[in-house]
Amino acid sequence: MSLVSGPGRATATALPDELQLAIEPHVKYIQSLDSRKDELEYWLTEHLRLNGLYWGLTALHLLGRPDALPRNETIKFVLSCQHDNGGFGAAPGHDAHLLYTCSAIQILAMVDALDDLENLGKGEGGGRVAVSKYIAGLQNQETGTFAGDEWGEEDTRFILCALNALSLLHLLSVVDMNKAVDYIVSCANFDGGYGVSPGTESHSGQIYACVGALRIAGRLDLVNKDKLGRWLSERQVEAGGLNGRPEKLEDVCYSWWVGSSLAMIGRLHWIDGPKLAKYILKCQDPKEGGFADRPGDTVDVFHTVFSIAGLSLLEFPGVEDVDPC
Amino acid sequence: MGIYEGDPDWDDVVPIPQDDGESALAQIAYSDEYSEAMGYLRAAMAAKEHSQRVLDLTEHIISLNPAHYTVWLYRASTLFAINSSISNELLWVNEVALENQKNYQIWHHRQLLIDHLYPSISSPADLKVVEESERGFMTQMFDQDSKNYHVWSYRQWFVRKFNLFNDAEMKSVEELLRKDIRNNSAWSHRFFIVFNDPIYCTPDSKAMEYDSKIPDAILDREIEFAKAATFEAPQNQSPWNYLRGVLRKGGRKLATLECFAVEFVKLPSEEGKEEDVRSSHALDFLADVWDEKGEVRKADEALTLLGDKYDRIRKNYWDWRRGMLKQGEGTGLVGKMEGMSVK
Repeated sequence: MSLVSGPGRATATALPDELQLAIEPHVKYIQSLDSRKDELEYWLTEHLRLNGLYWGLTALHLLGRPDALPRNETIKFVLSCQHDNGGFGAAPGHDAHLLYTCSAIQILAMVDALDDLENLGKGEGGGRVAVSKYIAGLQNQETGTFAGDEWGEEDTRFILCALNALSLLHLLSVVDMNKAVDYIVSCANFDGGYGVSPGTESHSGQIYACVGALRIAGRLDLVNKDKLGRWLSERQVEAGGLNGRPEKLEDVCYSWWVGSSLAMIGRLHWIDGPKLAKYILKCQDPKEGGFADRPGDTVDVFHTVFSIAGLSLLEFPGVEDVDPC
Repeated sequence: MGIYEGDPDWDDVVPIPQDDGESALAQIAYSDEYSEAMGYLRAAMAAKEHSQRVLDLTEHIISLNPAHYTVWLYRASTLFAINSSISNELLWVNEVALENQKNYQIWHHRQLLIDHLYPSISSPADLKVVEESERGFMTQMFDQDSKNYHVWSYRQWFVRKFNLFNDAEMKSVEELLRKDIRNNSAWSHRFFIVFNDPIYCTPDSKAMEYDSKIPDAILDREIEFAKAATFEAPQNQSPWNYLRGVLRKGGRKLATLECFAVEFVKLPSEEGKEEDVRSSHALDFLADVWDEKGEVRKADEALTLLGDKYDRIRKNYWDWRRGMLKQGEGTGLVGKMEGMSVK
């Protein structure tokens, strides 16, 4: 699954008044992505290959077409990204990192292949245990947050990656949950949002990670939902789309980061859902398939999955239900 | 013939091709160059080689694909292994960062470099050199994108590490706000440096917590600063959020700023007044003030105007607020929203 962008472009003007979701073109678009190996961009996005596969597969599942990508090849590719330390890299030969480990587990769970992990997985103890050991080893024992890899970059996104993967493996017990929760709480900002670390600027992507992690930990009680909900609702601009921070441009992927955060705290109705849905549909290319960050731009698989997921939250017809986290 | 294939310096190395067996690479020379370089890097990594030629190789690959994180990691470990000059590396990273605004591997790499450099910084003069050169470079980055999230979070890490809660840092942030009063990242950083200054703040006081140690002079200064910003851009969220944050930190009621907020709002219910709302955020603020003071009817009027007229897209939110008022949870709610501190 490559992340080569295009060829489609979001074409708002080509749509009829009643905006439709062009399911078949999107499916074809996603299926075509891995066949573009003759393009340089295919190689330049190799460091995101496993993420790309996760995004494409998720989009297909949401469109009700889970079999549109070959299951065996998917499993084989995912397992080929695993290292001896139990973690997964972005592509074969790329160093292990939490981001890709999370994508790997999510993909295997989606195609019901966690047994394959048990039988064929690498690392100490094999299977789920090896992966959980890798993840646990990345927790900062003092502060509770997580590094992405042995080089130690810390980011609240990695907390969600860790908890998300471990919850799918039913091995949340390997980490210090209380410390992780305390750390997230220390990241709550004066405006109600959360950043990458304590005191850093509130950002919708980081908020999604923090709220998602607290949800898995069963500690959403620690979120000031009214204040956060207010900040998140302010992400909606007149045109209907959502931005990630005050005074930034709207981007269709925030339909997911902001939308699911609001859904998790029970305040999705604080934004104008129909207006958002209209905006999302203006970002699609109904002929070639795929979604772009905003109307008129080139499509890519990242914006495709988060657009469809956003539509799912809004209960758009033709899209499967999505779990906000 | 490839660059490395034809280079006698690399004669002893057999490159390792892409291991998933792909052979259909583009005929574009640029792509061949990339795959050849990667083949030589794979071989060097397999042999755990750390040397100048490996530095040159990683530099080459980064110029072709700066997002390949494995290459950055190996470059860092090579730099440290052969004791290469950190200051030279920083100069080179500066160039790469300027050309690749969205790349965040660079900023973690930078952090590793500074961490490595830190023990050797012995004198205040040396410290000042690093402080000024880092601040200078960050300013260059902000010239291109004043809201670059990676640079701002690096900046915060840097301020904590070098204890730069000082005038120079404040001046730098103010300059950015002068250029663009709507820069939310700069507002966020200002809050950070003001309310985490170890000289007068309670250590580990959370952002949403009241801190009794903060001097009135600081609170007053911040309030004046935020007020000035609201006059400059009444419909910008940042200074209004900031004001609320400052009041909470100082344990002050919103009502202390009622006179200021009414300068933006004239309500039709007031005798002889025509409706004039110059800021929906001011109206929101006043709704909370009137709620705090128990003036429920006025608060309800403000919230109704917001939902029906001045901020219709968030009507459901404003309706919810009205509902909370009517439940008589008024002051409690404002207290809850503003004062909730999470232990």
